[in-house]
Amino acid sequence: MKNMLFKVVLRNLTKRPFLNLVKVIGLSLALTGIIFISLFLKNELSYDAYHENAEQIYRYTLTDPDFLNGKHFSRIVNPKYVETLQDEIPEVENFMRLSPVRGGLVKHGERFYGVSQAYEVDSTFFQVFNAEVVLGDKKQLLENPASMVVTESFAEKVFGKINPIGQVIYLPAGQYYGKEQKYTVNGIMKDFPVNSHFHPDFIATPMQNPFQNGWAWTYLVLAKNANPENVKLSLTKYLAKVYEQDTDAFDTEVHLQKLNEIHLHSNKLREMEANGNMRNVYVLAIAAFILLVISISNYANLNIGMSGFSAKYLFINKLLGSSKRSVVRYFFTEGLFIVLATLLLTLLLSVPLNSVIGKYFSLNLWQNNAPFVSFLVLLFAVLSLALGMLPVLKTVFANLSITKNTSSSVTFGKGGISRGLIVFQYAFSIALIISVIVISRQTNYALKNGMGVHENNVVIFESVHASLQKKFEVFKQELLQYNSIQSVSAMMEPPGGEANDMFPFEMEGYDADANDDKFSRIGVFPCDYSFASLFHLQFLSGTNFTQNNIDNEGAGEYIINEAAMRRLNHSHPDDIVGKTFKLNFMMAEQTGIEIPRGKIIGVVKDFHLQTLKKEVEPLVMFKRDKLWLLNFAVAYKTGMQDAALADMNKVWTSLFPEYPFECEHVDAMYQKVYKAELLQARLLSIFTVVALFICSMGLFGLALIITQHRTKEVGVRKVNGARVSEILVLLNKDFVKWVTISFVLACPIAWFAMNKWLENFAYKTSLSWWVFAVAGALALGIALLTVSLQSWKAASRNPVEALRYE
Amino acid sequence: MIQLKNIDKYYDAKFQRTFVLKGVNLDIEQGEFVSIMGPSGAGKSTLLNIIGFLDEPSQGEYLFLGDPANKLKEKQKVQYHRSHIGFIFQAFHLIEEMNVYENIETPLVYRGIKNKERKAMVADMLDRFNIVAKKDLFPSQLSGGQQQLVAIARAIVGSPKLLLADEPTGNLHSEQGEMIMKLLKKLNDEGMTIIQVTHSKENTKFGNSIIQLKDGYVTEK
Repeated sequence: MKNMLFKVVLRNLTKRPFLNLVKVIGLSLALTGIIFISLFLKNELSYDAYHENAEQIYRYTLTDPDFLNGKHFSRIVNPKYVETLQDEIPEVENFMRLSPVRGGLVKHGERFYGVSQAYEVDSTFFQVFNAEVVLGDKKQLLENPASMVVTESFAEKVFGKINPIGQVIYLPAGQYYGKEQKYTVNGIMKDFPVNSHFHPDFIATPMQNPFQNGWAWTYLVLAKNANPENVKLSLTKYLAKVYEQDTDAFDTEVHLQKLNEIHLHSNKLREMEANGNMRNVYVLAIAAFILLVISISNYANLNIGMSGFSAKYLFINKLLGSSKRSVVRYFFTEGLFIVLATLLLTLLLSVPLNSVIGKYFSLNLWQNNAPFVSFLVLLFAVLSLALGMLPVLKTVFANLSITKNTSSSVTFGKGGISRGLIVFQYAFSIALIISVIVISRQTNYALKNGMGVHENNVVIFESVHASLQKKFEVFKQELLQYNSIQSVSAMMEPPGGEANDMFPFEMEGYDADANDDKFSRIGVFPCDYSFASLFHLQFLSGTNFTQNNIDNEGAGEYIINEAAMRRLNHSHPDDIVGKTFKLNFMMAEQTGIEIPRGKIIGVVKDFHLQTLKKEVEPLVMFKRDKLWLLNFAVAYKTGMQDAALADMNKVWTSLFPEYPFECEHVDAMYQKVYKAELLQARLLSIFTVVALFICSMGLFGLALIITQHRTKEVGVRKVNGARVSEILVLLNKDFVKWVTISFVLACPIAWFAMNKWLENFAYKTSLSWWVFAVAGALALGIALLTVSLQSWKAASRNPVEALRYE
Repeated sequence: MIQLKNIDKYYDAKFQRTFVLKGVNLDIEQGEFVSIMGPSGAGKSTLLNIIGFLDEPSQGEYLFLGDPANKLKEKQKVQYHRSHIGFIFQAFHLIEEMNVYENIETPLVYRGIKNKERKAMVADMLDRFNIVAKKDLFPSQLSGGQQQLVAIARAIVGSPKLLLADEPTGNLHSEQGEMIMKLLKKLNDEGMTIIQVTHSKENTKFGNSIIQLKDGYVTEK
């Protein structure tokens, strides 16, 4: 019995390989999507939850309207006082400060090694955070100053097979006036898990207290039942006391953010790593759910459509004495084959997909998730089996009693639900297509508007070490001797970076008091004299810097952007050029660095150093020699990329033999800035293709049902002289109507959603009508193509066949 | 064996009731070979379907082997299909996905007969109808007459008491038709009750009684 059933089901399946393949592909795409989205969400939602004290750890930040315009940074400045908080505020049980290790390079033996993230930490590190120590005693590792704990991967990179314990690592003297520092490796810890909001290569206790001067990410461990709101109040009171201000007038605001909320709910300046956001989580969760709904409902739709093929078999079996149970068994077996094939295909799709994700996002989503994945797969299998089979059985049982239908098809009622579903899905697909176009357009627009991407001939040496910065002039002159090199410059922030620094200023004719602006500052941007020419900044008035990097007191040169011009209360570039101007460096006394008084010599059109999400901020560019020029930029002549890179390498290795030659094209750097959007666009396009495929599957099923249903009508019309084209119009008319309804539904929704999305950007493309038209046309085209596969068959069929048994 | 008392079959449309069968009374004894005749739309096939439990009368009483049909549960009907009633059709209605052997075997499978026995019974049928060589062929590979032979073999392999034939020769040319009718006659001689629907006067000669239907009424017996 079972054998026979299997045989018939298999023969039936292989008889229509295309349709069954469509089912399998549709379900597999959906299942693969659901698995990966779920795994990704699970990962996103589990950030930092693995710390034992996760519920009690809060990140402590401050905003002060008088400090850098009240910008909200994820770290705080000069957090020395945090050590004493425990005595002042009883709810604070412990604290932890992470001060970034400057420079990005360490030295061991004679070699330099790149460091992507490292922190000087308090000795409480292992009490606050959970980190697995592989070698060494957790309690004593950080007891002494200048003790270092490295991660396994960093240890392997630097020491190879040698036991790192007791080895010495130097932090070379470098930028921000630091001296050489020496650390001793005391222990090894496991690399931080993917779902941590930071991933240090090493942590170390400071030689001297670094928390006196400088920035640190600061965490407080609160008592179990402490109310963070109360703690915030106590902190505010405490700070007011320290700054000797009245608590009521004290306008610094204290923020406490729960550790496990950092990844999804924090979007402050200078985050340790790019964070995710909750909106993406919701969007993806909805996407997964919609995938589930449309894949299974379309599968069921196609099943109902195809049940007509089995109608005769089922009818005869009934005559021969099969029970309802064997009908169920038949469809169950058929479904089982489909589902098994789906699982197999899903596996085939998932393995390469997982490795691609692993490669590009260094995420192994499958790791430790076998039970979770099995659960998902099982759930999907059961749902698609049951929900794919039930409506078919319902239709089949309803129709088997009417014997007339033996040779034609299973009837399809009014089809209200299925049609509603198709309309909904197409509306959804059209909205998706619109979103894909809008997001791609905006991302393209953003990428094109970054500075230096126009000819794509600019490479950047990012955050070079202080000792190299001193030799910038030599580097520049050497390079300019090569024919392949067009221009060389250097600047404070790399393309795509954040220019957050602000200095107080004075300007001729600008009365700070009158503007109630006494403490206010303006954004500054130290750069080399070739900066404006290399990046093709457009001068609205005035001239470029003179061709050297040295300014004398009284002869300083300042170039400002349009935003700065407006900030300085001018509306005509010509009016402001020539005004006396001076920047006052706050730490001039400690460091002896003076910025000379001089004139505003030029006004340039606003350019996009930062992401297009943010308004261009007022920026004053000024020249500096050997100072604050952290990023080198080199433009090469068009078409000479290979030669130029070889020349740069030659110059670099001759000048800085001990430092690795690492540079990057500007467009690649901007791609990193818009990583989230690019990823969104890519995921969304994949998702759209999948959704369209699945929708077509359902539509095809529906077309199948309808043409079967109208076989006789088509036959009669043809006998009476209808042409194939007329029949096609007849059969396709309804589908066009549904897609049109979907289009009408989708447009306002997509328009609203995309407007919201575009609000993320300060500079954006318009939502043109043609985007909607293209999406509608595309959806209609796909729908018609799908349906016509079926209608054509029905329309071109010999009417005699259709009418023979009537 | 079969008693129909005042059987009505009608369909209700919005304002009118269309009768397919009206007041049909029939009594068919075991071993009879009855031919139902009548013009198109007279209700022949509907009558046959009601007798074969494929359709239900709207009104009236139908006794099968003394049991009232309207009180039969679905399970019992299935049981009757398995063991008491065989069907053959004008369009043969073989299962396309199964070969000759499997088609004949199917009803035995539903009856729960063991594999070994099944083999013997199917082999018997193949032998009897001279189609052993065709046992691995699929219906589409057979001629009409051969297909109807297989259909008959399938209908009678379980030795049902009643064979219902809906225009069994309608799709066959006369030679094949006669062969099939002779076969039915032989089965009837062996004791099987047969009810056939037919248009052909010729075919009625093989049976021993004729029922004339017109517009849902029995006009002649």
